Amino acid sequence: MRTTAWGKPGRGRRKLTVLALGAIGLAAALTASAFVAPNHAAAAAPTYLPTDPARVVATVPARDPAEVATRQALAASPDRVELAVELARGDIQRYHELSDPRYLGRAQATLGRWWKLAEPPPEVLLLRATIEQAIHQFPEARADLDHLVQVRPDDAQALLTRAVVATITADYAAARQSCQAVAPLASPIVLATCEAPLDGIAGKADEAYARLARLVGAVRTGDAGVRGWALTALAELAYMRGDTDAAMGHLARAIAIDPEDAYARNLDADILMATGHTADASKMLAGRELIDSHLVRRAIAEHELHGPDAETLVLAMRERIAAAAERGDRIHLREEARFTLAVEQDAARAVRIARDNWSVQKELADARLLAETAVAARDRAAAEPVIAWARTTGVHDVTLDRFLAQLEVLR
Amino acid sequence: MKALACAAVAVSWFVAAPAWAHKPSDAHLRLVASGETLTGRLDIAVRDLDGALGLDADGNGQITWAELSAATPRIAEYVSRRLVLGADGTTCRQELGEPALADLSDGAYWAIPLRATCPHKAVSLDITYSLLFDIDSMHRGLAHVAGQTVILRDARPVRVTLDAATSFTSFVKEGVWHIWMGIDHIMFLLCLILPAVFQRRTQRWAAADSLRDVCKEVFEIVTAFTLAHSITLVISAIGLITLPSRFVETAIALSVVAAALNNILRTVDARWAVAFALGLLHGFGFSSVLIDLGLPSHELIGALLGFNLGVELGQAAIVLTLLPVLFWIRRTLAYQALLWAGSGAVAVIATLWSYQRCFA
Repeated sequence: MRTTAWGKPGRGRRKLTVLALGAIGLAAALTASAFVAPNHAAAAAPTYLPTDPARVVATVPARDPAEVATRQALAASPDRVELAVELARGDIQRYHELSDPRYLGRAQATLGRWWKLAEPPPEVLLLRATIEQAIHQFPEARADLDHLVQVRPDDAQALLTRAVVATITADYAAARQSCQAVAPLASPIVLATCEAPLDGIAGKADEAYARLARLVGAVRTGDAGVRGWALTALAELAYMRGDTDAAMGHLARAIAIDPEDAYARNLDADILMATGHTADASKMLAGRELIDSHLVRRAIAEHELHGPDAETLVLAMRERIAAAAERGDRIHLREEARFTLAVEQDAARAVRIARDNWSVQKELADARLLAETAVAARDRAAAEPVIAWARTTGVHDVTLDRFLAQLEVLR
Repeated sequence: MKALACAAVAVSWFVAAPAWAHKPSDAHLRLVASGETLTGRLDIAVRDLDGALGLDADGNGQITWAELSAATPRIAEYVSRRLVLGADGTTCRQELGEPALADLSDGAYWAIPLRATCPHKAVSLDITYSLLFDIDSMHRGLAHVAGQTVILRDARPVRVTLDAATSFTSFVKEGVWHIWMGIDHIMFLLCLILPAVFQRRTQRWAAADSLRDVCKEVFEIVTAFTLAHSITLVISAIGLITLPSRFVETAIALSVVAAALNNILRTVDARWAVAFALGLLHGFGFSSVLIDLGLPSHELIGALLGFNLGVELGQAAIVLTLLPVLFWIRRTLAYQALLWAGSGAVAVIATLWSYQRCFA
């Protein structure tokens, strides 16, 4: 008999038995893990009782006596819409400061009495549209804003919100019309910022950049919110033109104005990652993982860097996606598609999510995402809506054009 | 100029749209139906309870354990008023148990055990849930019942059809999951199995020659462990004997220490006997999981059987994966290192556990 790897003759059968047993065990373990793992989210967390009475178990915004008084006044006379509007404004403001969506729900509940009315007072209409926009109910927000600008053609906030919603849903004519209507009500920089993404998408990024850069340079003072917004729009245009240094410069100023500006920070991180400065991108988002759009970028960056936090961040993101799915939310699609592509490396699934996302929102970032996932999945057909969109709009964006060129090769 | 100011103030309202943060407000309602009884747990975020009931007595934005525990009766009253369970159109009588804290990924939750007695065995369960919607329209109740998750979006009653089969399989899953996540049970089993490929021959120890002998011994050990923990699981789950969980958890950790030390000191050769004697303790540990899941104390045969089956399956998977590897390496230095250093390390770690569980 031939000598086996075990060193002694006659052991072949035993080796086979051992291997077979091992294979069965492994197969059993794998089957069981597939069978068990999805359910583990449903398992209850262990409970405990703290011993220290002073231990802080939760943190909430400190009590504001004025707000308490208003709430009491509203409880006493629940018909006073101006009190409800004041409270709801406070909650929406808190949502923007803390990025905690529960304050949007609170604002909505405070407006409950007027929420379902076909024609609520204009103040309520504006807040309802703002909340709807924040939870990506764009058609509902648009209907409310259309109605609002009819009854209040001089409401700059309503016009600007309408322009943003119309831009997101690719109704560029309506967006342009709203921006123009703001012109007599606000400074030129507001008009130029409102029109910047429209010009960019129309293939006129160079002109739009020159115009906005001049205005931003000329006006050194003015409302900080507007300046931050203008600088971010300027950075978007610079990035479209491939001038990543200029884009990061504008974003640094926007972030200096408002360090909590999640939009500017995300764009900055994206540009850093696209230009190979992944570690810097991760660093600028560190400690801000409470916000999903920051968490997903940091998880991707650390995953690519094989950083020490990679595993924790990836698990946290998976958990958040699962939690959103459990309650039936579909507003994480953009983040989910990116994560599925970069970390889960499931391009086929990522492109499906990116397509679902494109059916909800059509900003440049969404177009890039669908094109990028389609390239990764080698699925040109999936990118068809974006290819058509780019052709009709005449958009030129360095990043998008690169993906579209790669898709052409797949033809 | 007034319009400009208005436009400026709220730029962030439409521009900072992507800033969706951690989870929105969710509460979790877990229910198990068995016979006329429904048992389970409701977990509500402490921040949400503050919104509804104003827990932050001093208004400083920090809810302390003292503030939260002072509000316990108010919370209980709020929950019993706003959560109604029914069976096929009839209302069940509810009692709330002693609440405690549970840490979820987005902060501390107030976990309230609940139990409802219905006029008859429920075919379908009616949940009328009206917590928090009046202060947060985006709040959702997530009811986990019989392997399904039902989203509660408003105060209208929701009917969930109970399915015995899904309930049984859900307990099998819980069983498998528990043995895999319960690192102490795995350590115990490992310590017992580790020396099986290395047997005593009259006066000295040597690697076992026959795989059959090894399998036989492991089979004996696993069977003894299974029998022992099944016995105490049943005794404890039906409420015949209940032991304080601190005692059980500490004893389980000590049993791991004993099993590991036995590998080093070689006091008891008949490890099946060790498996049986100490396995009795582990059964009490399993039953506390079942109780946490909200297991009713009668008509629980299905749940017990399912959970136990799950534990055995999970255990068998571990043993079947490990045994061939151990047998393969039994003559190597790596095996010796694993046996001596591994057992030593387990003994040290488990000693720390017992200390923590007993005094922490």
